[in-house]
Amino acid sequence: MSTVTAQTPVPTEPASSGPLLRVAGLHKTYRLGRVDVPVLHGVDIELGRGEWVAILGASGSGKSTLLHLIGGLDRPDKPSGGRPGATIRFESQDVVAFSHAELNRYRCRDVGFVFQFYHLLPELTVTDNVLLGAMIRLGRFGYMSERAALHETAARLLDAFGLKNRLRHKPAQLSGGERQRVAIARALINDPSLLLADEPTGNLDRKTGAAILDVLAEIRRERGQTMLMVTHDPEIAARADRIVELVDGRVAAQKD
Amino acid sequence: MYSPPVYQALLTRRYLTSKVMPLLASLAVVLCTAMVLITWSVMGGFLLNLTQAGRSLIGDVRIAWPNVGFPHYEDLIQRLEEHPEVEAASPIIETFGMITLLENRTEGILIRGIDGESFARVTNYADTLWWKPLDEPMQKDKAGDDVRLEPGDRDLLRRVYDDGLSLTEIDPDTGVRESALVLGIEVGGWNVRTDWGGYYPRVQFITGSDGSSEMQNLFMPAGGELTVLVVPLDSRGRPMEAVTSRLPVANEFESGLYDVDRQTVLMDLKALQRMLRMHPAKRVVRSDRDEADPLGGFFEEDDTANAAPEPEIVEDPGRVTAVLVKQADPDGDVEAFRERCRAIYAEFAADHPDVPGAGSIGVETWEDANRMMIGAVKKETGLVLIIFTFISFTAVFLVFAIFWAMISEKTKDIGVLRALGASRMGVAWVWLRYGLAIGVVGSLFGGLLAWAIVTNINEIHEGIALSGDWLGRNLTGTPWNWYIWDPKVYVFKEIPHSIEPWKAAFVLIGGLVSCLLGALLPAARAARMHPVQALRFE
Repeated sequence: MSTVTAQTPVPTEPASSGPLLRVAGLHKTYRLGRVDVPVLHGVDIELGRGEWVAILGASGSGKSTLLHLIGGLDRPDKPSGGRPGATIRFESQDVVAFSHAELNRYRCRDVGFVFQFYHLLPELTVTDNVLLGAMIRLGRFGYMSERAALHETAARLLDAFGLKNRLRHKPAQLSGGERQRVAIARALINDPSLLLADEPTGNLDRKTGAAILDVLAEIRRERGQTMLMVTHDPEIAARADRIVELVDGRVAAQKD
Repeated sequence: MYSPPVYQALLTRRYLTSKVMPLLASLAVVLCTAMVLITWSVMGGFLLNLTQAGRSLIGDVRIAWPNVGFPHYEDLIQRLEEHPEVEAASPIIETFGMITLLENRTEGILIRGIDGESFARVTNYADTLWWKPLDEPMQKDKAGDDVRLEPGDRDLLRRVYDDGLSLTEIDPDTGVRESALVLGIEVGGWNVRTDWGGYYPRVQFITGSDGSSEMQNLFMPAGGELTVLVVPLDSRGRPMEAVTSRLPVANEFESGLYDVDRQTVLMDLKALQRMLRMHPAKRVVRSDRDEADPLGGFFEEDDTANAAPEPEIVEDPGRVTAVLVKQADPDGDVEAFRERCRAIYAEFAADHPDVPGAGSIGVETWEDANRMMIGAVKKETGLVLIIFTFISFTAVFLVFAIFWAMISEKTKDIGVLRALGASRMGVAWVWLRYGLAIGVVGSLFGGLLAWAIVTNINEIHEGIALSGDWLGRNLTGTPWNWYIWDPKVYVFKEIPHSIEPWKAAFVLIGGLVSCLLGALLPAARAARMHPVQALRFE
């Protein structure tokens, strides 16, 4: 597999000292009908630059919710009953205080999502799926002016993931592993600081899942990509630098 | 500078070309747009033909003082025709009367006394005369059945046509040219309307006292005379003794308006003036009474037998009830032209104290004169349009339903877009653009379909009719009448149509707006979706 690079050079040194992400006192409660269902009970977590952290937990432990909150897809509970509000600091920014527009920008530029079920858009080709994030980030004029460079970047990413001959294929024409590699390429097109992967091998057989983990490891090695991966499988979690175990919405253990 | 993201255009294009449902929505818009545009064009064309037919009967402006009429009209016509905006002017008398037709059938009619030569310059009178020689069959007369095509009748028809123009006919007994009638083609009831909208004279068999049967051609009827009855009014508008006159028929006219063709008879202006006592005459004014003798005082210029002894004789000019005026520019503003005619009349009235004042005289445009008819058709057009527009709103609901279903189907895609950083408005615009695209495609193709149908509507109609004819003959042995616009029933032989650019633009924009309306709520729903719920949607 060739070297994984996005459109900008990978920084070899951290831009600034300190963790990339710091989460503290994260609470999240969902309302189901008239019943409040607490999912997260004050989660604290830190993520260093270039670190690969796995969130390990059983189904319903709140690991996907944690990922969504960190990725700006949802907002944590507001302070109540003397309980202070949650903190999600990304670089020097307070994600919790972001406006809607800032959250959109954060999701677009700073984080990249990889989902268990790939979530590729079936009407688009592999290349268009990968370029979708860039299309959202740039306006029409911006995209058109960078179009050639972006297509080259997408082609290089896909080539690195062994999809050189699949550029014009539709997702339905790909295997599960290929689809997930396309989804990873899509997540990387805007060169995000943080890659969030929600059970990236959960829908794949063991061999294909292992290949996907190899891809993630390659990305981390080549790009120094910071990654937060959610899984329920201790064996998969073991591939990460550090494992944070989540039980019933609380951090139960952390181990390197 | 903000520029819309390219992903919206990409998704719109992909959704539009990869799904059947939006194509069905586009098809619905195509059909609705075409339906409204065709209806409007045909109804608009019908209205246009109707109003043009109405215009052809009275010119552009009518200056009228009904019943008793007004004198010195020759001076008014001269003043009008001296004006560069006036093409021509013609005197006319309109009065109600009775006509006794064949077998003593008597009917109430509108009698118009016209001066054939000037009337033909103001109106398209010459074109409306029905009996004239034809070189080629009319468009709908595919079989060439028109009796006017008969080579052997060309001389007769030429003579009849000239008689119609002059409203006279030569008396076969005396050889003298005398006044004659020109009837609306439906007045006499002796013409049969053909399938293609023409006429031929009815033929009837008359049984004699000896039991023999004789065929009689009822052409106009040849050699026959009809009795016309009018009631003259004195100068104060009081009815005088009814006057009858027996007159031959010189020709018949077809105006295109059934009511006119059914109830109008034309005759020579001077003949009608005499019947109505509106002709130029001398009046006896007695020294002890400063007024005319209303009943016995009229006499012809050469009628010296009735002259009173030691008379004071006053010249009474001829009168007409209206002067018709045609403007030089056929596309000119008819309202402004009416005001010009009113001003000319005011100058005329200032020089003639015995004519109605400029404030009293009726000066109306052809639209004013036909407002009842035009108004009715306009209302009918409006009503049909409203009905079809409501029907077309099904397109809005169809787009709404399809989009609602598609957004449910695409919930995960919406979640992905939000996860990749798309804003709520960005997601909403994907669907609004999609609705707009369906509207553009549907409206454009609908407009093209309407244009293709409207410009070929008579050929399509003919094709349908011929298909019915062929199918009927082959399946049942008799042709099926699939004529929707039957020339036998409708006055206009062709289906009228007129696509006006502003109407087309209005309908096409309406199609676009309808699609946008249909997409509005689903787009709002997509925008309000919570990204996490959208991603977890099963």
